[in-house]
Amino acid sequence: MTHIHSLLPQSLLSSAGAVLLLLGSVWTLQAASVQESVVSLDVVREQGRAKSRFLKDAPEAAKGTDVIPKANVAAFQKLVEPMLKKSCIACHGPEKAKGRLRIDQLNPDMLHGPDAERWREVFNALSKSEMPPEDEPDYALAAADRGSMVDWLSAELNAASIVRRSSQEHSSFRRLTNYEYNYALQDILGLPVPPVDKLPPETTSADGFNNSSELLQMSAMQFETYRELGLKSLKRATVSGERPPAVTYLISMQEEMAKAVTKEAKAALAKTKDGKTPDRIRNPQRSKNQPQLVQRATGERIDFAEGAELPRDGAVVGKTPPLSPVVLELPRSRELKLDLDRFLPDEGTMRVRIRAGRSIMNPVEYASLRLIFSAHTSNNANFSQIVSAHDIPVTAPVDKPQFIEFDIPLGDIQRNPFRHLNTTFPRRNEFLHIQSVSNAGGGEQSLHVVIDHIEISAPFYEQWPPQTHTAIFFASKNKGDEQAYGREVLNRFLKRVWRRPVNKEEVDPFMALFAKYRPGFATFEEAMVEVLATALSTPEFLYLSQRVANAKTKSPSQISTLELASRLSVFLWSSIPDDELVQLADQGKLREPKVLAAQVKRMLADPRAQRFSYNFVEQWLGLERMSSATHVTDSTLKTAMQEEPRAFFEEVLGQNRSIMDFIHSDYAVVNERLANHYRIPQVFGPQFRKVSVTPQTNRGGLLTSAVIMTMNSDGKDSHPLKRGVWMMKRILDDPPPPPPPNVPQVDLTNPEILKMTMKERIADHRNKPACNSCHSKIDPWGIAFENYDALGAYRTRIKDKPVDATSELFNHQTLAGIDGLKRYLLADRQDQFARAMVHKLTTYALGRPLTFADSSDLDRLTAQLRRGGDGLGDLIQLIVSSDLFNSR
Amino acid sequence: MNPKSHPLNRRTFLRGSGVALALPWLETFAASSRAKDATPKRFLSVYHPDGVGLPLKSDPAWKDWSWFPRGGEKDFELTKVLDVLQPLRSDITIYSGLSHPAARNVHGHSNADQYLTGAPVGGSGPYKNSISLDQVYAEHAGNFTRHSSLVMSTNGGVGGPRGAQTQSFNREGRPIPAMNKPKQIFDLLFVTSGKDAAAKLARSKSALDLLIANTRSLGRQLSKHDQQTLSQYLDAVRDTELKLEKAQKWLTTPVPQVDTRNLHLDAEPKEARLYFQTMYELIYLAFLSDSTRVATFQLGRENGEGPHDLLSLAVGLGGAHGLTHAVKNPGGWQNLGTYNRYQAEEFGRFVQKLKDTPEPNGSGSMLDNTLAMHGSASSSFHLSRNYPIITAGGKNLGFSNGRYLKFGTGNEDNQAGAGIVSDAGWTGKMEVEELPLARLFVTILQRLGLERDAFAGETGTLARV
Repeated sequence: MTHIHSLLPQSLLSSAGAVLLLLGSVWTLQAASVQESVVSLDVVREQGRAKSRFLKDAPEAAKGTDVIPKANVAAFQKLVEPMLKKSCIACHGPEKAKGRLRIDQLNPDMLHGPDAERWREVFNALSKSEMPPEDEPDYALAAADRGSMVDWLSAELNAASIVRRSSQEHSSFRRLTNYEYNYALQDILGLPVPPVDKLPPETTSADGFNNSSELLQMSAMQFETYRELGLKSLKRATVSGERPPAVTYLISMQEEMAKAVTKEAKAALAKTKDGKTPDRIRNPQRSKNQPQLVQRATGERIDFAEGAELPRDGAVVGKTPPLSPVVLELPRSRELKLDLDRFLPDEGTMRVRIRAGRSIMNPVEYASLRLIFSAHTSNNANFSQIVSAHDIPVTAPVDKPQFIEFDIPLGDIQRNPFRHLNTTFPRRNEFLHIQSVSNAGGGEQSLHVVIDHIEISAPFYEQWPPQTHTAIFFASKNKGDEQAYGREVLNRFLKRVWRRPVNKEEVDPFMALFAKYRPGFATFEEAMVEVLATALSTPEFLYLSQRVANAKTKSPSQISTLELASRLSVFLWSSIPDDELVQLADQGKLREPKVLAAQVKRMLADPRAQRFSYNFVEQWLGLERMSSATHVTDSTLKTAMQEEPRAFFEEVLGQNRSIMDFIHSDYAVVNERLANHYRIPQVFGPQFRKVSVTPQTNRGGLLTSAVIMTMNSDGKDSHPLKRGVWMMKRILDDPPPPPPPNVPQVDLTNPEILKMTMKERIADHRNKPACNSCHSKIDPWGIAFENYDALGAYRTRIKDKPVDATSELFNHQTLAGIDGLKRYLLADRQDQFARAMVHKLTTYALGRPLTFADSSDLDRLTAQLRRGGDGLGDLIQLIVSSDLFNSR
Repeated sequence: MNPKSHPLNRRTFLRGSGVALALPWLETFAASSRAKDATPKRFLSVYHPDGVGLPLKSDPAWKDWSWFPRGGEKDFELTKVLDVLQPLRSDITIYSGLSHPAARNVHGHSNADQYLTGAPVGGSGPYKNSISLDQVYAEHAGNFTRHSSLVMSTNGGVGGPRGAQTQSFNREGRPIPAMNKPKQIFDLLFVTSGKDAAAKLARSKSALDLLIANTRSLGRQLSKHDQQTLSQYLDAVRDTELKLEKAQKWLTTPVPQVDTRNLHLDAEPKEARLYFQTMYELIYLAFLSDSTRVATFQLGRENGEGPHDLLSLAVGLGGAHGLTHAVKNPGGWQNLGTYNRYQAEEFGRFVQKLKDTPEPNGSGSMLDNTLAMHGSASSSFHLSRNYPIITAGGKNLGFSNGRYLKFGTGNEDNQAGAGIVSDAGWTGKMEVEELPLARLFVTILQRLGLERDAFAGETGTLARV
């Protein structure tokens, strides 16, 4: 394999694109290979850590790793200019100036000069081998020369674009992202689920984040959607008048058995008339794997998978009835389909309450319940969808069953549009399916879910008026006085929405609006809801403000403690602060180190912190790409794959483990489905948990998680290039420049190429001078993953050949497969990864792109992190108490 | 040819339709129209379920009752199914070899949902649609008219998932309810709307005033840079204000006056001819008065019973959907062909009327500024491929008509899937190549003046159109 780079003096290769490359000394690969068989990754990690320059130097000395790129004019003069003179200037010089290009007049300093765009055209023409023209042999360029010119151009262009991006002013003043807005609305109103996401999709920044201030635009459409969603959610949270009567279904297993027995007897009778022998009624052996009703006392059983139900007037729900003498046995993956006809209301919560237990308590099997809603209006016109947010595990024994409750928002799910018809066609019925999701094996002694009682009630309210209503329209002695009470309501609501105390003058305009609205509505509440909806479209709710403090303060760029509270909660909860945070901020205590640390701890322990791990991990790792991976046909596997990095992140965060665990750990965080995929034995159940892994499983850390391997494949096989780019972008924070336009495609009609393995094909492509410059940096990172197939399963052979996962980085470091890659990262790249992690988390925390001006802060944070032992929890604490996080 | 089969000249139309227009109104309208607006560009899509007849060549019925024309681009010959359009030959274009890739293996009964959207709605499980062609245009054209679009169907409402009773889907992929009662449509178009709308507008106006004041006071406390970011919000509020003002203007602008004496606003689908003609007349009036520039009309739902099944009574046949199942019965192809012929005839009547009406606010006829599309998403029995599509008009938009445009390869004589009456057809492998219909949609959107180069994930236009 020819290395174009070897033709260039190393000193000229200082690529500005590789801002973060080559940190620390190069740990010699001989040392690694000699000890490979004996030294474990843990030891390598310890050794690698000891070499950190952040541990050796004073933090100030560790400064300046984000060197501001400089134009490499020396390389231009020494290498590029002579070639231009030889091959280009005849046509693009003083004589001819073809295409109006005077190559001799272009300023080689693309970072400061005006000619970067013209240089890009030169780069395109050279990289595509369009120039010099083939029919001008006198001016032909040797492949190696073309390669060095392309290298120089690509590095300079990339540096120029980094400088351009960095020279713009960046601010953390931004609107909430769609998901933050939705969570905020949910938290303010106390709704069980966030509103349906109707907002236009967000744009992802170059760093991969969706919360970047530059890209969070506002438009009339966005604004109108806010107004619509705000009002709709308020109407959902509040009520008026008397408690509406609920439609209630009670499913009695005893009655169902009676009906089923009669039905089957009738069917049998009809068959007997034909002179045929009837199927044996209630044969317990007949269909052990079908849902069946069972008479507890006698063991008598009958198939039962579909029930037709009607509402019962005056039925009471929420009680604990005596155990039913008849129960429903639901085997693995089976469901009970209930025809609820057309009586469910259009809006409101449907509470489905099921009493269930496990038939046997063997620890290796689990079962949970899931709800599906469907309709079948005419031939082929049908739908079905999972409506339960999560499967709920059944853990109680059959003789002490538990109640399982699902709350389904009827106004948000797909409904049968024909349910109000007066005619019977198209069909009006709606169906609720109760499904058992389980890993139970087949056979006699297998686990079944045993259900003895089902109630369905809608609209369901825990209390009347519901708590969401009384939180806004609370009890007050002023309730009779609309002016006084209106002011109270607005005061409290605005304080919550604006995350700060409000004064009278600020409430006045809202009271004026209320006065205008009031005559148009029958009740105080209805008019007030419209006013509150307006509060939900104010910029102070929608934006994360940072006011210019008055000049008297000591540090004028510091944000106020109230603004800090909002920044904190948006960072760790993706939502607005709660009362406790606002109160501490209002008292000016939030910035006290002990208070702040305690609050961060409290916030991370709160369930809302899951939004942080979900959204940060999603954006950091670029997991949204998984949604377009169509080759994962097993939806349980796909869900488990998507869940793994988040669960892993939560494990590292929750236990304050070292961020180096992301590179390698001696444990994995998996559930049963994923453990099967990884061939890790003895993991049962759908919940994720930490399990130890041996080197033989070839897992541990995030890099080899199935989701990363799967989304970075081409649908059929691994894709080393995608994996390499992913490594550089997401893990090393050293993104390669974007590919040039019209890169030559790999010609798959060429039988020679078709015969090659993926690695050989990529090598073939890399050897083209136009491609080499970038690919020699990217490909080796990806090739090291060749042992993982398109679904991230480990393999040792590809078709009939053994896997070859060894590669050589452009600095001649050999990576022997995934183990080699991890060794190299842990030995030589710990500082780079730590700095990358700090960079990513800080970018997310600030919601803005970072610039060169931020680099000393990032270095300081990295040094603090490394000295403290690399704990992820510590890093969060470091970030929130940093100057960066506390400044405008 | 039998002259009786060409009832499409203006005289017979006015006599026969029973939906005559009060001529003085036409003048009144023309005088009061917003003359400053450019000539309207209009779009109509008519959808009929259940596809068309596609007998095998070896079948004696092939000669007369195969839907697709025979011959080349210019010298094509219409069979008896479409010969009613012969007088409009130079105003129409017929297409073959087009379909939505995502639907090619989905049962034809689920087809009405995706004809104008191209979405992969599939055959079962969770359901998600996307914006329809007409609504993409309506988002733009709606700026100039009282109604952004007119959505109609014989069955009304939205139907069920995979059993749509509307052709129109909004940006979120949610169905827009279709209107099916002529009276209701007429009232919407030509009777003033209620006070509720005015009160709602007034409320919004006050809310926006508050928000603008509130934004200014926040802005004063921000840095210059952040003020600029906030100005985007202010712009959004102002844009919304403008929209409200426009809506306000429509509230106070009197609705066009129409003489209703000859309109049969109580017509029902079982009086198929009258109903059809009334519905088309309402589209015509809506276009003429520039109340909207976008309309969709779905002639019933795929499959099953319903008002649309009665439409075939107009030609003395029962159960429209049943006709597709009974093609192998004696006279079966002829029956289905006769019904399709009737649909084409009514479409032709409407097209002729646009052609005969001078553009009130521009050059040429109304037809020259209107693209009217007529089609289905199945050709043969339940087969979601090779959609039978006709477009008419659009000369001033850049459409050149009088052509039969065949796309794709391997199916030049439209025999793929011909003669099938079993599900083996739609489940079977695609043996010929067809082009994505979305490319025609992109062409249409561009000619309607939108800068679009993709629709439903397909990029590029359709050559030759």
